[in-house]
Amino acid sequence: MIDFPLKFREIATDRFVFANDAGDQFFGDEKFLDRYATENLTNRDWGFLNENGLAATDLKSFNGVSFLRRYALRMAQAQTTNYLILVPTLRCDLACSYCQVSRVNKKAQGYDWNDETLSHVLRYLDGLETKRIKIEFQGGEPTLRVDLLERIAGHCRKQFDSCEFIVCTNLQDLRPDVLGFLDHEDVFVSTSLDGDWTAHQEHRTKSKGRTEEFFNNIQKLVDRSPKGKVSALPTIDPTGDANLEDLISAYSSLGLNSIYLRPVNYQGFARKTFSSSRDAFESWNKLYFSFIDTLIERANENSELMVEFYFTLCLKRFLHAGEDHHVDLRNPNYFGKDYLVIDYDGAFYPTDESRMLTRIGQVDLSVGHVTKGLDFSKLEQLNESAINSFHEECIHCPYQSCCGIDLVDDLSRYGRTDIIKSESWFCKRHLAIFDRIASDLSSDSPKARIAYAKWLGVPKGTIERGLGAP
Amino acid sequence: MIPLRVRALCSDEIEDDFLVRLSAHGQCSTEYDREIHPHADGGTCFLLCEGIVRLPDLALKDCSGDVLLVEPSRNIAHRLIRASSPHNTFLITEQCDQLCVMCSQPPKKHHVDLFPTFIQAALLAPKDAVIGISGGEPTLYKEQLFEMIAEVHRNRPDIQFHVLTNAQHFTEDDLTFLNQPWVKNVLWAIPVYSDRAEVHDEIVGKEGALERLKVSFTILMRSPVRVELRTVLLDNNVETLPSLARFLTRHLRHAEFWSIMQLESIGYARMNWDSVFFDHSKDFNQIAFAINKSVEMGLQIYLYNFPLCTVPAGYRDYAVPSISDWKTKYLDECQGCSIKSSCGGFFEWYDHQRGFAGIVAQ
Repeated sequence: MIDFPLKFREIATDRFVFANDAGDQFFGDEKFLDRYATENLTNRDWGFLNENGLAATDLKSFNGVSFLRRYALRMAQAQTTNYLILVPTLRCDLACSYCQVSRVNKKAQGYDWNDETLSHVLRYLDGLETKRIKIEFQGGEPTLRVDLLERIAGHCRKQFDSCEFIVCTNLQDLRPDVLGFLDHEDVFVSTSLDGDWTAHQEHRTKSKGRTEEFFNNIQKLVDRSPKGKVSALPTIDPTGDANLEDLISAYSSLGLNSIYLRPVNYQGFARKTFSSSRDAFESWNKLYFSFIDTLIERANENSELMVEFYFTLCLKRFLHAGEDHHVDLRNPNYFGKDYLVIDYDGAFYPTDESRMLTRIGQVDLSVGHVTKGLDFSKLEQLNESAINSFHEECIHCPYQSCCGIDLVDDLSRYGRTDIIKSESWFCKRHLAIFDRIASDLSSDSPKARIAYAKWLGVPKGTIERGLGAP
Repeated sequence: MIPLRVRALCSDEIEDDFLVRLSAHGQCSTEYDREIHPHADGGTCFLLCEGIVRLPDLALKDCSGDVLLVEPSRNIAHRLIRASSPHNTFLITEQCDQLCVMCSQPPKKHHVDLFPTFIQAALLAPKDAVIGISGGEPTLYKEQLFEMIAEVHRNRPDIQFHVLTNAQHFTEDDLTFLNQPWVKNVLWAIPVYSDRAEVHDEIVGKEGALERLKVSFTILMRSPVRVELRTVLLDNNVETLPSLARFLTRHLRHAEFWSIMQLESIGYARMNWDSVFFDHSKDFNQIAFAINKSVEMGLQIYLYNFPLCTVPAGYRDYAVPSISDWKTKYLDECQGCSIKSSCGGFFEWYDHQRGFAGIVAQ
């Protein structure tokens, strides 16, 4: 009998989480750890491992091949480009205090796709091998150029079997032509909503009139759209005093049941305005988990469903590795494979954040131009570090299989990627989340699991307590 | 019920069995196409060189594009492909190496090789058709089956197959065939009745069946083939559904989906009904667990042949209309039910006296 090597970490007194490379987890006490580490597993231990697919007679057996298959699925990476972030304009009619892209004024010239860029983008779309395309329109404020959105969407609808468009908009101006575009069945809307009026106005809209515009528009759009079409996310200053109850009320009153609680991204304007956010880890964590606690309470009180998007994503990745649709949390996270950004000037970027880093002049992360094609040598250089599988710290971490890697975040915060991982924001943030999940799943109390079940979409009841070793 | 075998009254001069595709629009692009006309005495008819064939049971509007195998000596035609239906199945053989307690199509000893006919019929199917392959056990004739799939793919890459197999016969050598990327055109539907050998083996009437099934899975897991998992709900496996759910979500989460299927009262199931039927409308707990576990672990799950009113409200989204169009019926109780249009109804041969206790119009 062979076991699949285990990594472990203490999550509570005399309670450890164990995980193998396929992303299977279970929990055990210190005695089990001792027996495992000293190669003194009992027959009962082996029986437990074997019955649960965590050990095998050999790698060719059912358990062995099944483990290899799970490992392969976890490591598999999409190879076909089917997700594009397009930036038809960098102009914006707001100037939010934590804008990540150093947007330019609405009246500025030379910050939109010109005819040549547009025709190259269309040609680039024609060259894609995929039959399904997902396009996210970013900005600036993309609806300032709804004519370009219509051109791209019309072209895609002819070119691909299925299309999905997401317009990331501030919803300040729902002109008839904008509304006409958003009303299409394959168009989804993502906007920012920082909480109640005061919170939203403070960092974004600045004036009462503009705040009113926004709230009227989001209400109007939600009222006329099928559920799920409109989503919103707040940006939170980890050092500030965000009112989480107000935030939840603001979302639920609009019928939105998912909040993606993001700390200010250490990019763009935010870099100047919120410089203390670089190390504000402790205060962010406190705020984040108090938010999670509030949502767990809500779920146990049978209040209307409210999900924190990122925590639920981490939970899914913990339970079954390979949930790879979120490009900021996956491994390997090779750039230039399945998604790409095309900026207002036609430059390619591997991620939206990398375009921001480039724009503020920290490092040039552009990877080619739509007129000339991808810069493969630069991509290759970046991709050398876009994997956690062999990192000297990550290989000892039981969360390696559910975690990811984010080069651009490291570059943005520390100016380099060869940092001590365990001291990075990325590592500390995810360790805290996965520790919390491991602790909740192994706990006697079903309270958190009742909430987890709801967030995962389980129809009724709770999910099982995590697997426990003898 | 829509008949799959219909009367075909042939002129005396027509003697040999033949394949034909019916065309109401006069578009005859192959030697198999025949233009159909309404017959004065009812039904439809078409001409061959030797004479006329009348199909008294088929209206012109319902059969254009259908592919029929006509047996003049018996005055019958088999509707191998119904152009308007998504439920077309070729019965490859009636032989089987298992003897399931609830088999809807009890096996026979004799085998008639119709592969050449099936290949031709598939080639004449409408664009993008999905053709079911069933039995008996189709992989008893694995070589011919693989060749049929390959031959159809060579000429009609748009056609997909849905093969129902007990997966008792896959070997390492099959990886050469299975590893071809285009074999993704095939969805292999494989029954797993329990993760406990004694339960699974008893249901399929074959000792060592679960162990052999796991051998086949180790082979299939090494290839990119698409797999569907099927579990027929029975009185003796319902208790093991939770452990089966843990087993499948651990090892076979890469399957496209898992369907839990309520019993079809025909064949052996009809004979053994009282001992094999489990009325989930009285106790849904084990099924609820299986669904919860599958959602938790990200394995898509469906309930087949579960009338909506027998399923607790929170779980109804998983109960999909699954009964083939030609054998669906509704009960008197269903009249006026507000969710009838999204409900899959009942098998034509469902006997309500021995059926679900919890049928209530919603």
